[in-house]
Amino acid sequence: MSDPLILAVPSKGRLMEQTTEVLARAGLVLKKVGSERGYRGIVEGVEGVEVIFVSASEIVEQLKAGRAHLGVTGEDLAREQVSDMEKRFQVMRKLGFGHADVVVAVPAAWIDVRVMSDLEAVGRDFRRVHGRHLRVATKYMNITRRHFQANGITSYRIVESLGATEGTPAAGTAELIVDITTTGTTLKANGLKVLGDGVLLRSEATLFSSRAADWTPDTRATLAEIARHIANL
Amino acid sequence: MAVETSDSFEALEAQAAVIMAVFNEAAYERVAPSIIQPADIFLDAVGERLRARTYVFSDQDGEMLCLRPDITVPTARIYLQRHPGADVAARYCYNGSVFRYQPGGGSPAHPREFRQAGIELYAQIDEAKADAEVLLRTLEAVQRAGLKAPKLRIGDLGLFDALLDAVDIPDRWRQRLLAQFWRPEAFRAELKRLSTVPGSAVEGLPTDLVAKLDPAAPGKAEALVQDYLDRNGIEAIGTRTVSEIADRLLSIAEDARSVPLPKAIADLIENYLAISAPVRAAGARIKDLFQRNDIDIGEALDAFERRLSLLTKGGANIAQATFDAEFGRQFEYYTGFVFEICSDELGPASPIAGGGRYDELLRVIGAPEAIPAVGAAIYTDRLLLAAGGGQT
Repeated sequence: MSDPLILAVPSKGRLMEQTTEVLARAGLVLKKVGSERGYRGIVEGVEGVEVIFVSASEIVEQLKAGRAHLGVTGEDLAREQVSDMEKRFQVMRKLGFGHADVVVAVPAAWIDVRVMSDLEAVGRDFRRVHGRHLRVATKYMNITRRHFQANGITSYRIVESLGATEGTPAAGTAELIVDITTTGTTLKANGLKVLGDGVLLRSEATLFSSRAADWTPDTRATLAEIARHIANL
Repeated sequence: MAVETSDSFEALEAQAAVIMAVFNEAAYERVAPSIIQPADIFLDAVGERLRARTYVFSDQDGEMLCLRPDITVPTARIYLQRHPGADVAARYCYNGSVFRYQPGGGSPAHPREFRQAGIELYAQIDEAKADAEVLLRTLEAVQRAGLKAPKLRIGDLGLFDALLDAVDIPDRWRQRLLAQFWRPEAFRAELKRLSTVPGSAVEGLPTDLVAKLDPAAPGKAEALVQDYLDRNGIEAIGTRTVSEIADRLLSIAEDARSVPLPKAIADLIENYLAISAPVRAAGARIKDLFQRNDIDIGEALDAFERRLSLLTKGGANIAQATFDAEFGRQFEYYTGFVFEICSDELGPASPIAGGGRYDELLRVIGAPEAIPAVGAAIYTDRLLLAAGGGQT
């Protein structure tokens, strides 16, 4: 009995469909074991792979803990949930779907604000007038914190937003947002614009390997075979 | 170092007893602030560096709380509870744990939980005397706890404020430089911009609108901006008003019409910040630099000298101390005198104690106005190591 390599893939929605398609194109056909609704599977034709179907953000946790050797998830989630992602994960392959940019967007009416560095001055003035910090609505709290710090922006406070983030400035519950966008139409419809240097991350679905996983001769051999298939993409 | 064995716990407790005795003898009342603090008041008061390392969480009622990343703010809150007018001089001391996030989960050299013992002195009108008292008591405490050769490093943010006050520079530029002071890179960039192309922020803005904005007629600006938005079909949404946007555009328009900051002033500021020398030599260099540039900051310099002589009188070995003009820049709440005490054993990267004056903090957390305040914290885990008490 050899050690299985654990491959974590998204369990539902477009992300699951596209992952299945792309892997199949590489000759890695996922097949569920047991019922169609089950959460375990195998890769047809490649011995020693155990597939687990879990949510995209849970995949990041599995990779972080080393419970999965490989996983397919969005780079945005990986960078949000792991502060030192480069140290813990290796990018095996960007898969070419699930594209989305994580951007800083402010009201289009802020014609005096074009780049990130304007936010520090605006934040100071805002605090003087309103007696509180600028509020940034986002579900990407860590990505926001890191990028704002790197840009020397300190006069702000994050408010966590788990949905309809682009509506928060108009609703008056935040002044600006950090959110994901594909075309920018939704931002525009909500009276927002992306800052000139406000693209914090260009994310897509990515096949990651975990440095924390148990890499035995068996799992390494299985990894090499998967890598050969992926190289065909 | 987290206290995980009873030996190190008892060694720390014994050391703390010595330290607290020094503070008690000097009439510092012992207080025990809560470990769990409201997040908002705390995050408002500390600078970004500490804020990024504060453990913040919400409880079952959704209230935002934090584990105290220092004990200065919690102690100041106790003072304000007792004296809401902040009009009574008070001396407090404390000993307890603080919590700071460490990337990668913490290590023996950089623990996420460690201990501090310290003092705070509020509303003492004679500031030089209060500064000297706090440093002298801290020195006495670390020495009685066994530190052989404390190395002293001092700075004075009040001198920098006085310098900016004394030079000829538009007030809005002064405010901007003061606000950027805590971020040396951004500060240098801003100083360079002001002394070369102060109007550079105008690039990329609607030129026709900026040309119409007249700093001499600020009352018309809001209507001009509103008109621009209407013509371009942009709806003004959110809490930041058109009048605030107009104000900022006005100040950019004003910059675009200003002559650059004279290079001599930019150089003077840079040269001052570069001063790093033994205390006496540094004092002479500051005096010389300001005299050559015809800058009079008499009072601030007198306060500096008087503090030094009080320290000498109190028995501190000031001749051996270093002065750094930049020192204190990394802690946003300091406003004047700052100091740290290092040891040969642990080196300059691991200070044994640090402190300074923070006159704005009480106002930020609710006092009616800025209140004189000065304090110091001893990193007792490090002190134990440096004083040799850690090896049992």
